[in-house]
Parts: sequence; structure tokens; C-alpha cells
Amino acid sequence: MTNVLNIEGIEAAYGNVTVLRGINLHVGQGESIGLFGPNGHGKTTLLRVISGLMKPTAGKVTFDGVDITAARPPVIVSKGLVQSQQGNTLFGDMGVAETLQMAAFTKPARAQAKQSLAQVYGLFPRLAERGPQKAKTLSGGERQMLSIGAALMCAPRLLLLDEPTLGLSPKLKEELAVALKEISASVPVVVVEQDVELLLSLADRLYLIEHGEVEREIGQDDAPDHQEIMEMYFGEHAG
Amino acid sequence: MELLMTTLVSGAVLGALYALMASGLSLVWTTLGVFNFAHGALMMIGAFVAWTVSEPLGLGLWVGMIAGVGAAALLGVIIEFLLVRPFYGRPNMLLITVMTTLAAMIIMEKAAQIIWGARLKQLPRLIDGDVSFFGAVFSAHEALIVLIAPMILIALWAFATKTATGRSLRAVGQNQDAAALLGINVPLTFALAFGLGAGLAGLTGVLLGGIRFVTPSLGVEPLVKAMIVVIFGGLGSLGATVGAAFVIGMAEAFLVLFVGLYWTPFMLFFGLIIVLVFRPNGLFGRA
Repeated sequence: MTNVLNIEGIEAAYGNVTVLRGINLHVGQGESIGLFGPNGHGKTTLLRVISGLMKPTAGKVTFDGVDITAARPPVIVSKGLVQSQQGNTLFGDMGVAETLQMAAFTKPARAQAKQSLAQVYGLFPRLAERGPQKAKTLSGGERQMLSIGAALMCAPRLLLLDEPTLGLSPKLKEELAVALKEISASVPVVVVEQDVELLLSLADRLYLIEHGEVEREIGQDDAPDHQEIMEMYFGEHAG
Repeated sequence: MELLMTTLVSGAVLGALYALMASGLSLVWTTLGVFNFAHGALMMIGAFVAWTVSEPLGLGLWVGMIAGVGAAALLGVIIEFLLVRPFYGRPNMLLITVMTTLAAMIIMEKAAQIIWGARLKQLPRLIDGDVSFFGAVFSAHEALIVLIAPMILIALWAFATKTATGRSLRAVGQNQDAAALLGINVPLTFALAFGLGAGLAGLTGVLLGGIRFVTPSLGVEPLVKAMIVVIFGGLGSLGATVGAAFVIGMAEAFLVLFVGLYWTPFMLFFGLIIVLVFRPNGLFGRA
């Protein structure tokens, strides 16, 4: 059986600054994976490359066996590979309900817009209460919910989530973690997160990304303890 | 009383015209972040094409109007493709596109001079005759403009808020990456916004052609007015632009009455500066 997502030797750069140095990873059928590692080491860049927002300088991305390396974002989204960006305000002057309605833009998304909306409001009842409110007046947590909700409206078959709990209070983070678990039960996810414990509860396998490379692959059975995680982030003598 | 009515009516006519002139400019600015200096020249092209189709070709004003709007919209898409698209994503895109759209304006003005010559032309009016309104007498053509402008602007508003394509236009204007990640084709949306803005310019030109002489420089003064309106409104929503258009139209009508034609532009710019000092985000812009 082919992998859902295959990433082979992806390299990418901003101008002269190389960010990704040959990333290899894969997402199997029905599998969720997590990406973690220090900030500024290429996790967000990798997601931008997968979604088509950025062209890699080398390597290949295939989704469902189809090469999407050179495809533009709308083509990739309509195939069901959907990304929710990091700390994203989406469209500041647009209301919550209108944003969700518009987010079902591609043909497959429009066909199941009603069910998707029910799912989003079920996961995030707060969004239903905020219907006409403009996105820029939402709290950080609500923006994150809207961003994830909008991605769910796109009829994802694989959902890329970039630091969904970034900058949230512990209480909000817990709330969102529950929703994320519910989401990952119905649609496979690729989650970028700093919180490894949260990642382990969501994903089947984790990749540690450092210096633009996959430094380590972690399965559920060889899950690291707290001390090990600290060492991965801060070096041998941390903690 | 009669004088007051005449001034109010003339303010309403100016406001309606300014709202039409500025709406296309505002649409392009909010979607692409480009200040289209060719906007006035597109009005002029719309008027000339409408004249050619309706007068020498004898197909009538309504066919001429459709041709004028179509020609302006098509030219708008071409300008976007050739002179704006190559510069997206450049850090100094705003300044580059000021120069390239300014170049487009000059090219179109000179081309119009070569094609249509320097002789003054005039478009027929939409309807003949005069209308009397509480003692104020004005042409039926102007009355029609006051009626048509709100209808077009309401249609534009409905398009932007009630249709998927209209929403995608606004989404692209606010966050291009996020819009692309929802499946919206950003370059196509840019072309659409530019074409629509240019079409609105063409329509304005056709309506202007019934009031003023059609010359290669027909669009110069309306471009300046449209810019004042858009900046005055706060470079924001369509509603703010329309509101600013009617404020300026009324102000101009009363200024002409009180300080005369000569001092009116000075007073308008002075008012614009005063407003921007106290409200840097425009009259209706949010801080």
C-alpha cells in the first residue's frame, strides 16, 4: 500500500539561507504524525513546501502517489491536503460564520459544507456563538479555533496543523487538545508542536527536525521520557 | 430655497459620479494593494470606445456602453498581466506599480490621441430632456446617474459579500497565503479584481462622456478626485469610499456656491489635509 504523503530529499531556501537540507519522511495510510524540534529549524517551511506556498530547490512531494511538488496551493487543497497556518488571523475584517462559509471553496469542500460546518460547531461551540464577529476581534484561542475550523471546511483527507496551541493559556491549550484528539480520530493529521507529550497523544510517530533535517524518528513504543525530551531540545546536559 | 435645492442636487450628482470613479480604484487597492494610476485613462478609453461604436458605427449608445465597459475591462486585465503581475512579492511593489500604471496611463492617453485625434467628441445622453426637482432644474442624464450609481454600488456590495467569488476577492485582499490555502486561485483573483475595477472605470467614462467632452485627458481630473475620495475614505471598505464620495460631492457643491469655482479645489485639498491630520486613517477609517 502506498503512503498517503511521501517526502523525499526536500531542500528549500530563503534567498541564500538554506532552511531544509534533504528532509525524508512519510505518512502511512490512516496514520497521524507529529513534527517537533527547536524553533527556526524548518518545520513551518516544510509545511509551506508541502502546501505549495513555497517551491523547494530539490526533492519530491507525493500525495496519494501523485507528484505535487510543482503544484499550486489551490490544486493541492482540492486534493484534500489542507493546512492550518501558525498563529493565523485568517481574514481580519471577515466575520466568523462568513469565513467558515467561504472556506468551503473547492468543489469537494462545497459538496460537504453542511456536514463540515456541523462538525466545526460541534468541536468549537464558541465559534457558533461568535457568528457575526470579525476575526480580528477574536481572542488568540478563538482565532486558532477559527483557523482549524476553516481548514476542516476544506474537506481535508490529511490535515496539516502548524503549532495549533502556540501562545495559548494552559486551560485553553487543554481545551484545544481535546478537540485535536477528536479531529485526529476522524481525519489523519500532521501536527507541528513543541509539546511532545501532546504530540504523543495525537500521533502514531514523531519526527524530530533539527537544522533542516530529520534528526530522529520516534515510535509510540520508544517514546522518550521528560529528561530525554529536554536533552533533545537543549543538548546533553540539560534538565 | 431654489438655490439650496440646486446646490444639493448638484452635490448628489457629483457624489454619485465620485462614488463610481472611486469604487473601481478602491476595489483594486483593497484586493491587490496597488494604486492604479491608469484608472482615469481607462475611463477615457471606455468613453472613446463607446463613442466609436455608437456614433461612427451607429450602433446606439447602449451597445456603445457595453463595448466601452468591455474594452476598459479587457485593457485592465492586460495591464494587470503585463505591468503589475511581474512585480508581486517585491518589497517595493507599491512604488514600482505606481510607475508602471502611470506608464500605462501615458501610453493610453497618447494612443487615444493617435487613434481618435484631438477634436472634441461628445457622447449622447442616456436620456434627453430636463428634470425639475423642487425648483431645481437639471438634466435627465444627471438624474439617471444619481439613480444608477447607487444601484451599481449595491450590486458591487452584494457581489462582494454574497457570492463565493466576491468573498474570495475580499479574502485575497486580506491574507493571500491563507486564501491560497483554502483553494482560492490568487493570481486569477487579482486579474478579476483589476478587470472589474477597469470595467467600473469604463462605465464611469461612458456616463461622464454625456456631461463633458471626450478628450484624451478626460480621465485626469476624475483620477485625482477618485484618489482624494479613496484616501479620504480611509483606503478601506466600499462603504467608506462611497460615504467619502458623497461627503466630497456635497462639500464641493457648497464650496462652489460660497467660495467660487476658483478656490474650490484649494479648499478641498485643505479639508483633506485637515482630516488626515486629525484622522490619519481617513474619515471613515479605523485607527
